[in-house]
Amino acid sequence: MKKIREYMNRDLNLSILVTLTFAIFITLRIIIGPSLLSLNNIQSMLFQVPEFGFLALAMMLSNMVGGIDLSIIANANTVAIFTAYVLNGQLSFGTDGAARIILALIFAIVCSLLFGSFNGILISKTSAPPLIATLGTMTLFQGIGMAVTGGASVGDLIPEFSMIAKAKLLELPVIFWIFLGAAVIVGLVLTYTSFGRNFYLYGGNPVAARFSGIHNEKMCISTFLLTGLLAGIAGIIILSRVNSAKVGYGDSYLLQTMIVCVVGGIDPNGGKGKVQGVVIAILLMQVMSSAFTIMSLSPYTKKLIWGIMLVCVLGLNHIIGNYSEYKKLKMSMKAKA
Amino acid sequence: MEQILCVKNLSKSFIGVKALKEINLSINKGEIHCLAGENGCGKSTLVKNISGVHTPDEGEIILNGNVYHSLTPYQAMKEGVQVIYQDLSLFQHMTVAENIAISKLSFEKKKIVNWKEIKKIAKEQLDRIGVSIDMDQTVGELSMANRQLTAICRALAQDAKILFMDEPTTALTKKEVERLLKIIVELKKKGLAIVFISHKLDEIFSVADTITIFRNGEKIGDFNSKDLDEKSLSHYMTGREVEYPRYHRKCKDNQPIMEIEHLTRKDQYEDINISIRKGDIIGLTGLLGSGRTELAMSLFGLNKTQSGCIKVEGKEVKINSPMKAKEFGIALLPEDRFHQGLFIERKIKENVSSALVNALSNRGILNRKKEEKLAEECVKELKVRTPSIDTIIGTLSGGNQQKVVIGKWIATKPKVFIMDTPTVGIDIGSKAEIYEQIHKFADDGMAIIFISDEIQELMANCNKIVVLAEGKCVVTLNEDDLNQEDAAQKISNLISSGENTEIKEAM
Amino acid sequence: MKIKKVDQFQKILLLIIIIYSILVSIKNPAFLHFETIFDIIRTSSTTMIVAIGLLVVMISGGIDVSFMAIALFGSYTTINVMIALGIDNLGIAFLFSGMIGIGLGLINALLINWLKLPPFIITLGTQNLYHGVMTTFISDKSFGAGVLPECLHEFGQGTIFKIVTEDGAVGLTISLVPVLLIGIATWLILYKTMIGRGIVAIGNDEESARRAGFNPFKIRLFVYAYSGFLAGIMGIIYVAQINALYPNKLVGNELMVVAAVVIGGTKITGGQGKIFGTILGVTIIYLLNSTLILIGLSSSWNNLFVGAILVVSVAITSYQERIKNRSHLIFTE
Repeated sequence: MKKIREYMNRDLNLSILVTLTFAIFITLRIIIGPSLLSLNNIQSMLFQVPEFGFLALAMMLSNMVGGIDLSIIANANTVAIFTAYVLNGQLSFGTDGAARIILALIFAIVCSLLFGSFNGILISKTSAPPLIATLGTMTLFQGIGMAVTGGASVGDLIPEFSMIAKAKLLELPVIFWIFLGAAVIVGLVLTYTSFGRNFYLYGGNPVAARFSGIHNEKMCISTFLLTGLLAGIAGIIILSRVNSAKVGYGDSYLLQTMIVCVVGGIDPNGGKGKVQGVVIAILLMQVMSSAFTIMSLSPYTKKLIWGIMLVCVLGLNHIIGNYSEYKKLKMSMKAKA
Repeated sequence: MEQILCVKNLSKSFIGVKALKEINLSINKGEIHCLAGENGCGKSTLVKNISGVHTPDEGEIILNGNVYHSLTPYQAMKEGVQVIYQDLSLFQHMTVAENIAISKLSFEKKKIVNWKEIKKIAKEQLDRIGVSIDMDQTVGELSMANRQLTAICRALAQDAKILFMDEPTTALTKKEVERLLKIIVELKKKGLAIVFISHKLDEIFSVADTITIFRNGEKIGDFNSKDLDEKSLSHYMTGREVEYPRYHRKCKDNQPIMEIEHLTRKDQYEDINISIRKGDIIGLTGLLGSGRTELAMSLFGLNKTQSGCIKVEGKEVKINSPMKAKEFGIALLPEDRFHQGLFIERKIKENVSSALVNALSNRGILNRKKEEKLAEECVKELKVRTPSIDTIIGTLSGGNQQKVVIGKWIATKPKVFIMDTPTVGIDIGSKAEIYEQIHKFADDGMAIIFISDEIQELMANCNKIVVLAEGKCVVTLNEDDLNQEDAAQKISNLISSGENTEIKEAM
Repeated sequence: MKIKKVDQFQKILLLIIIIYSILVSIKNPAFLHFETIFDIIRTSSTTMIVAIGLLVVMISGGIDVSFMAIALFGSYTTINVMIALGIDNLGIAFLFSGMIGIGLGLINALLINWLKLPPFIITLGTQNLYHGVMTTFISDKSFGAGVLPECLHEFGQGTIFKIVTEDGAVGLTISLVPVLLIGIATWLILYKTMIGRGIVAIGNDEESARRAGFNPFKIRLFVYAYSGFLAGIMGIIYVAQINALYPNKLVGNELMVVAAVVIGGTKITGGQGKIFGTILGVTIIYLLNSTLILIGLSSSWNNLFVGAILVVSVAITSYQERIKNRSHLIFTE
């Protein structure tokens, strides 16, 4: 018992989050009944998690360096559009079947990395505030997508491609496993590698990082390369799931990714937070989202709930923050006495 | 004489630390008063209590005969208390005229802005102190001295009866200081009480009537400025019979480890030549903006040089980033500890390892055992007082924080360690410990560049002192020069005058 | 004070607008018709209003992305009530909608002051909150032109004057009047009142502003309430212009307004920003919007150009700032 308490005190935010998740889960289970936990429903939930999950991971990384990357959704959509052109034969360079899919995937990765590096170079070389810089690149990436498609959706993909989203492993969607794998890798990298440590330091205080001989430009560019890549993967998954791509898909994800980060304990001022929290928050979000669908709530009501949730969680964090600061203060007083 | 301010038995503590202990103080009309003491002795805290920023725990403040147990900033200003903070609190993007007038208008609870009135107020005050500054310029375009004067005008505009000035001369040249002092004497004649808060007293000495000395949150006493000299003053301020132990270089290796030749960056410093050997502690001093910090940043790769060269162990090197500097064995303890030195929300061990993350890693994986060992060593060697290496550094005292930042660079085993004002905002106990450590590092063969504007500190810790003024190296004093009795006085003259007259002859 | 000279940045914007206009009119003389120009003024007028509100927020060092939701909330609720009660008075519409805007703006300010978190995140939350509250608790039905109060219809079609051309009469929209009034009022507030100077002061440096006797909390309340008020006004004008009431319009366009204000030279760090610059920023966006077709590109190219302009202007101004800071040894990141 003491151990549990110690552990809970060590990571207050995460413990509260886990408790909260369980509470919401049980409440929803009571309201909705067993259909919430049917294999079918679990599968369909996990089928929807990855595209949003990858975007949330991208948002998390940008939040952790003290910036908000507004361009991730535009990035995902535009990558999906270009990939769709490869897959429907307009840009396939004569390939077909598996070769075309591989070409498309390579194309998507390269494209997303290009977008990411554009953000990174812009921000690191000009010291532009990330929020404004990515507002610009968001509009630009959207603009590229719009200019290419004229606003129409790009479909007509080779049918094999949608298999990626449909495939299952151990009863669960493969794309969910991919997402889980990616989250674990990101978590391990952040916790155990020198890059991860430099990343936290850079996020916490970039000036002190520069004065410690950490290569800030490199950190910034790698961070936005990573966000770009994660957004690009989200784009691939969207394309595979929806079977078409267009500008403006998933606009509401901006708010949702932000909520997930805040709920998951990421400090929007940078330098703090863990992947575990965000993953739990993503699952929580998905459960709620599915429950809303089962309860057939209107999209407006969903909006209301997301809005309330963001404000409430921010408020709760604020209160908890004050509380733990008070505790820290008390502890440091004890240490001095 | 008429008393304006009287403080009785005032006490204030923060998180269990007594910052002020039963202070009594009285200040009269038409008096120039100086609050002296080392950094962190409580003089600024006292001023913040009087101006209403902090609320005292005990005691009372009597202003113009009105007794207060605590004040709001508004009440304080109404009683004529004006404070010019060290950062001046000016608005960069606003014009001089507006900066001068805005507080007055805001305290008069004006609703409408009359730009003619603003100009009138600004002109009145500028005329009152007899200077001419273009009122339509934005403050961002002004020199430090003119910003200082703008801040004074703003305080006067509000009908100040008692004017506190926090370290007003740090950034001013001799001529500018003279002008400032002249203005202040004029204000005194007009019946204003002026209170300087300072740890350097050279110029203020000449105009102050009374000096009150603080040490460790306690008032040591009131002194007539004629009864004090540098030595007795520093004795009262530090509370030590003997000064800090002098450093004498023991190292035998006379090969230069770092040579700076003709180093120049326009508008910052020019033609700097310094040669540093193992075990040297070279004092680098000058006013704010004299080029000392600019030079330090250049040596650490954060400020591009334009001509001249830097040699490390005889080889010319290009230092264009802190990464490169680290590679060549150069470390920098930055001036602004809070923003540039600390990761305030992270653990001690993470701060210690922050300059060595890559070196502590094997194929990209951070070795946490090594990191902890490093942190343990640092805490032990530098006597950091902390419950554990997992403590968040923000909860430590300033002195202990600084020890960790020093330790972080010591862990990189630097050949040349540049310390930019390492004892700012640090209690006396930690100060002595840090000096001791610095001597030990130098004895072990490290070369140290010690930047400071406290002359006593430089005299105690350096075996060579370079004085910069307006970007030029005015004089280099070696150990023999420093042994002369009047060396300290000469340095202080040189720092602010920028002219090298006497010493040159003496050399 | 003499009216400040047009600064370098605004000159460049003005130059871009002029050069672009010349190019467009060479390529397609139709651009110079009153019809086109009046149309640009008409469609941009609503955005001008919220952009000015956002400008004030950004000068104070904050940001607001909830104003579109406020505009919708204010106008939708007001007009719903008016339809239900059969009120047909433009003044009441503006007043009521503006009051709702003030209320919602105050909530923003209170939350920002309480939570001490980036205003972007908070107003993103309230944006959804307001929209959700409106659609869930008030109504989510659409109303066609037929049921709307007559005064709105009149206002939407109203013109200041008409010019007769070969194609018939074209008029300059009456929506220009509130835009001008708001522009002047905002200029007066910013330059002629203490609260305006307080807004600039807290944008420069909040701590110094506090020392100078300003109350940042009160100023913040004013700033977000003012932004909310303008949003409320804008909502009514918007409904009048499109002559229909939908529960899902406007929201989603806030970032375009942010882009316009930033293009206009306003710094997100606060303390700097000009009304004229903001007007130029909005003009550029709407100019592109309605002229791309004239030069043979579809309007799908709009975002590409706006994005490019935004990226370039942000890159240049940030880079200049960085060089200046670095030479003063100020490291901001």
